[in-house]
Amino acid sequence: MDSSASALEPLFAFLSYALIQAELAFYKIPGSHVIARYVKSSHQNDPGRTVLEVLLALFAIRTLLQSRTRADNGEKHFIQFSEKEIDELVDEWTPEPLGAPLTTEEQMDLASIPVVSGPNGPRPKLVNTGKQVLNLASYNFTGLAGNETIKERAIETLRKYGVGSCGPPGFYGTIDVHMDLERDIADFLGTEAAILYSQAFATISSSIAAFAKRGDIIVADRGVNFAIQKGLQISRSTIRWFDHNDLKGLEDVLQNVEKERRKRRGPLTRRFIVTEGIFERDGTISDLPKLIELKHKYKYRLVLDESVSFGTVGRTGRGLTELYNVPATQIDMLLGSVANGLNSSGGFCAGSRHVVDHQRINGTSFVFSAAVPALLAVSASEGINILRNTPSILSTLQENIRAIRAVLERVDCITIPSHAASPIIHIYVRAQAPAATAVAGSKSSSNSAPLAFDIALEERLLQDVVDEALAQGVWITRARRLRGQEIVEARPSIRLAVTAALSRKECERAAGVVKAAAVKVLTKRK
Amino acid sequence: MPSPIALTTPPRQESIFKKRSPSYLTAMRSAQSYLIALSEADARARSRDSASTMSTPALSLSSTATTLSEEDVVNDAPCDNSDGLAFPTTPPTSEQFSSANHLQFGFCANENYRYKSAHKAGTQLKELHEQDPPYYILLTTYLGYLFLICIGHIRDFFGKRFHPKFYGHLLPFDGYAPLNSDFDSFYTRRFKTRIDDCFAAPVTGVPGRTIALLDRDSDDYNNSFFLTGTTTRGLNISSYNYLGFASAQGGCADAVEESLRRYGASSCGALLEGGSSEVQMTAEALVASFVGQEDALISSMGFATNSTIIPALVSKGCLVISDELNHASIRFGVRLSGTNIRMFKHNNMKSLESLLREVISQGQPKTHRPWKKILLIVEGLYSMEGTLLNLPGIMELKKKYKFSLFIDEAHSIGALGPNGRGVVDYFGVNPREIDILMGTFTKSFGAAGGYIAGSKTLIDRLRLRGHGGAYAESMTPPVLTQIMASMASIMGVSPSTSSALELAQHHPGPAHPCQLPAWIDLPPSLRDGSEGRMRLRRIAFNARYLSRGLAKLGFITYGHTDSPIVPLLLYNTGKMCVFHRMMRARKTPIVVVVVAYPATPLVTSRVRFCVSASHTKDDIDTVLRACNEIGDVLDLKHLPGERWPLERIFNSAVELVNMEDE
Repeated sequence: MDSSASALEPLFAFLSYALIQAELAFYKIPGSHVIARYVKSSHQNDPGRTVLEVLLALFAIRTLLQSRTRADNGEKHFIQFSEKEIDELVDEWTPEPLGAPLTTEEQMDLASIPVVSGPNGPRPKLVNTGKQVLNLASYNFTGLAGNETIKERAIETLRKYGVGSCGPPGFYGTIDVHMDLERDIADFLGTEAAILYSQAFATISSSIAAFAKRGDIIVADRGVNFAIQKGLQISRSTIRWFDHNDLKGLEDVLQNVEKERRKRRGPLTRRFIVTEGIFERDGTISDLPKLIELKHKYKYRLVLDESVSFGTVGRTGRGLTELYNVPATQIDMLLGSVANGLNSSGGFCAGSRHVVDHQRINGTSFVFSAAVPALLAVSASEGINILRNTPSILSTLQENIRAIRAVLERVDCITIPSHAASPIIHIYVRAQAPAATAVAGSKSSSNSAPLAFDIALEERLLQDVVDEALAQGVWITRARRLRGQEIVEARPSIRLAVTAALSRKECERAAGVVKAAAVKVLTKRK
Repeated sequence: MPSPIALTTPPRQESIFKKRSPSYLTAMRSAQSYLIALSEADARARSRDSASTMSTPALSLSSTATTLSEEDVVNDAPCDNSDGLAFPTTPPTSEQFSSANHLQFGFCANENYRYKSAHKAGTQLKELHEQDPPYYILLTTYLGYLFLICIGHIRDFFGKRFHPKFYGHLLPFDGYAPLNSDFDSFYTRRFKTRIDDCFAAPVTGVPGRTIALLDRDSDDYNNSFFLTGTTTRGLNISSYNYLGFASAQGGCADAVEESLRRYGASSCGALLEGGSSEVQMTAEALVASFVGQEDALISSMGFATNSTIIPALVSKGCLVISDELNHASIRFGVRLSGTNIRMFKHNNMKSLESLLREVISQGQPKTHRPWKKILLIVEGLYSMEGTLLNLPGIMELKKKYKFSLFIDEAHSIGALGPNGRGVVDYFGVNPREIDILMGTFTKSFGAAGGYIAGSKTLIDRLRLRGHGGAYAESMTPPVLTQIMASMASIMGVSPSTSSALELAQHHPGPAHPCQLPAWIDLPPSLRDGSEGRMRLRRIAFNARYLSRGLAKLGFITYGHTDSPIVPLLLYNTGKMCVFHRMMRARKTPIVVVVVAYPATPLVTSRVRFCVSASHTKDDIDTVLRACNEIGDVLDLKHLPGERWPLERIFNSAVELVNMEDE
């Protein structure tokens, strides 16, 4: 007994020494006295509390140290394997190929895409046929493609700025011509400011996500284009849908949202209405004055995608705001496509200075991508200039639209959902059974409702129409969709893009060809 | 600048060019006198030639030999050389003077200042250990943030009460929630705005070797800027212009002009909907053979290449394994795809392997079904760190674990490898062993947009399934032309007429004449690839020289020495703006990029240099000299180990570059 105690003595001595050293070291830390006093007094008052606090501290440390990415591997589902078992599992695992080979239909689909051999424009030459065709497929609404003034300005710019901007806008990629174009767009539309993105498709997904966050509410049209759908997805906000272009439905949704908020007594969150000016899917037009009325009434912010309508409608192509004579400042975020409307490249978001400046730091695809090449920015500026100075382009465009519609509207086997002023004209196959004529109605019921149309069959028929028209020297295209990825499947359609660069005669002739092709293919079917 | 720490008076040091350059250079006040000097130098060279004392002049540099026309000088070159940027220290002979002027692409005829960028076969990629700064630096950095946060909150507190109109957009108003909350925007308002003059400075002209900044000023504490109407030309060590193809003159620009005349500037729609053109297809084929894959797809925006293609590759039931420092576009794309995502430690093969073992053995969460596909997404060269991908390590793991590999070569393509074919070329790996190679044209090719390359089956699938094909505008002809012209000059165009099939097997070989449109007429030096090789060797030299030089001066840098991106660590936030302003206020202004949180971890604020083939050795000397001086003032030299004085670094540049990694 005595001997064992003496044997342990050095150990005790060491322990007490270590304790004293630790205490000294602890007191050397600035502020440690305060902690020690706090612990002492709290222990004195309530020893149980010390235990609780120690536990709390340990729990906090554990939570902090836990990797966030491991969260979904809760212990419950984690299976322990030995190294050998893992090796076996690794050997057994055979992944699917990264991309499945194309099916025969898909190959034909890809092969059927016409390729332009020279410059693209109203009358391009195609590689596939080697012939010149009338172009109602490419976006060249105001005929700016191949404009000589734009070419000259682009060459001048090339000789001063080179091609690439060699950096994102934050790192010396903001060239003076970008600022000029942003100012031109803002002036043209009548907003405080505008921000230029380098691809139209990537614009709205970043713009929406820069403002709408988790917990915010977005009320969107069911028929919005794919880019918007992706923006809604990436924003992680709460999405409420209203039926395509049904503003009565929109009002109901807005009322419901407000009711729910009152019921839950939730905090005030950001609320947005997201819709398109002219819908890329079917060419219908939003009733902008009504939208603005609703937005003000229910205190929402309006995000309007004018990718199709900017540069195509209104007296000088300012878009929906000019068409309805509504000041653009009423729209909180007005997005448009420089690529479609001005035949250059890129997209923009116009709005108040706060809206624009916020995106310069938070618009993901603005911050992390190189700026538009200078010569394309200048081309776009010149495009605006041309639109401003020659309103006749827009009236020619409208005349051409009318001429084409006059021919096509008389065809029995097709229907046209597009608005009379829309520069894109969609053509549906007219449903044969009279019961299914109310396609628009059936589409609206819900996401899971069975489709009132047979996608594969209609796609095939429409492709036949396209091929037939191409054989007759008119280039049109089926509206291409990512089937299975859209939130609501769009009905298969042929999309005509009317251009001001063709004469009225040519437009009538082209429409005649489309009509003949449609009649030939669609009346033949069973 | 109204900020109290703004520098208004430039430091008093003399321009290094003035000190070192012969007297006749200082006298050169106009382009006229420069041209005279040029012809004199020409005559001297000829006389020396006859005496055969001079080695062969670097003919590789002479391209079209168009003399600098007076107009060019008026347009772009400031006639006085007081900042030492306009003319090289040793004037070239007119024969050597490249068509691109010195402001856009530096003149450097010394063949010693070249290096081949390649990984030594059989060696391991050097493991990087991030050097920690002394504790007091870390402590002051944290204290600095703490201080700023306190001040920020105090200002917010009083500001909201005394100047509510400045906070209107941050507070609920008339039943609208604020567009951005004061909490979310706190960092922007209270940190970034203070030093906003260092960010997003507008520029004009070519972002080449030098760049012209539009001077701006603010009278409301950086809330808004106005342009003063003047410009400052500085040495550009910031733009992603790795091979110096950002140029308004020369063979590439001529080709672009021709394409503008032929095709205009628009592509008119999406690829599948009326925007397909022959130019695009030719360019895609050329890109495929450049990177050594079967097929390639070109997208009109680099960011969108990732964000629209990744969702087409993976879907539910698949797993994406991503490096923790991957670019925002990759994260954006993965989020859109809705797949599971796991991350591993930056470039750490051990962490990757243990993660692979875990995910393959565990299978999908909850159900434990095996994963359909596992896609590893990594970058070739990390743009904030300057680290190279450990490709040999990954290829080994790929053999064992059978995952698919996606390499984002946004920064490495063109900038790395003996043939400029990116990180794959650098390590001598067969590109066909990699499933997907992605890259951008913004950086090395002076263009815009991005590509995806892989097997024909896969690319065809992506043409139909990628979001871009159906919905996004296709690339415009002038940009496509710039890509083709610059890419062909890196590859060289073979004079032979061997069949294209035969050619495809010779990767990395020259391009076949039929791979370029007939109307692109490249000047001989670009066509034979000699200038392309010269550019590759110059950037490799510059990259190694700068990173080694900075290390020898005692700066803490990150990344591998072969990386053209050299981050120099500043740590303290406050040093960022001072460093930036001091660099800009020098006699020879230097334009730098400073980055901080959130692009980097909180403490490691840094300045990021991007060297280019357009820089000369003198330019790198200028940067080193400036860093040395500013580093002393700002207490930045914390690297332990041997230090060299500046002159020794300058004099033994070649030795420094050729030194083995220790």
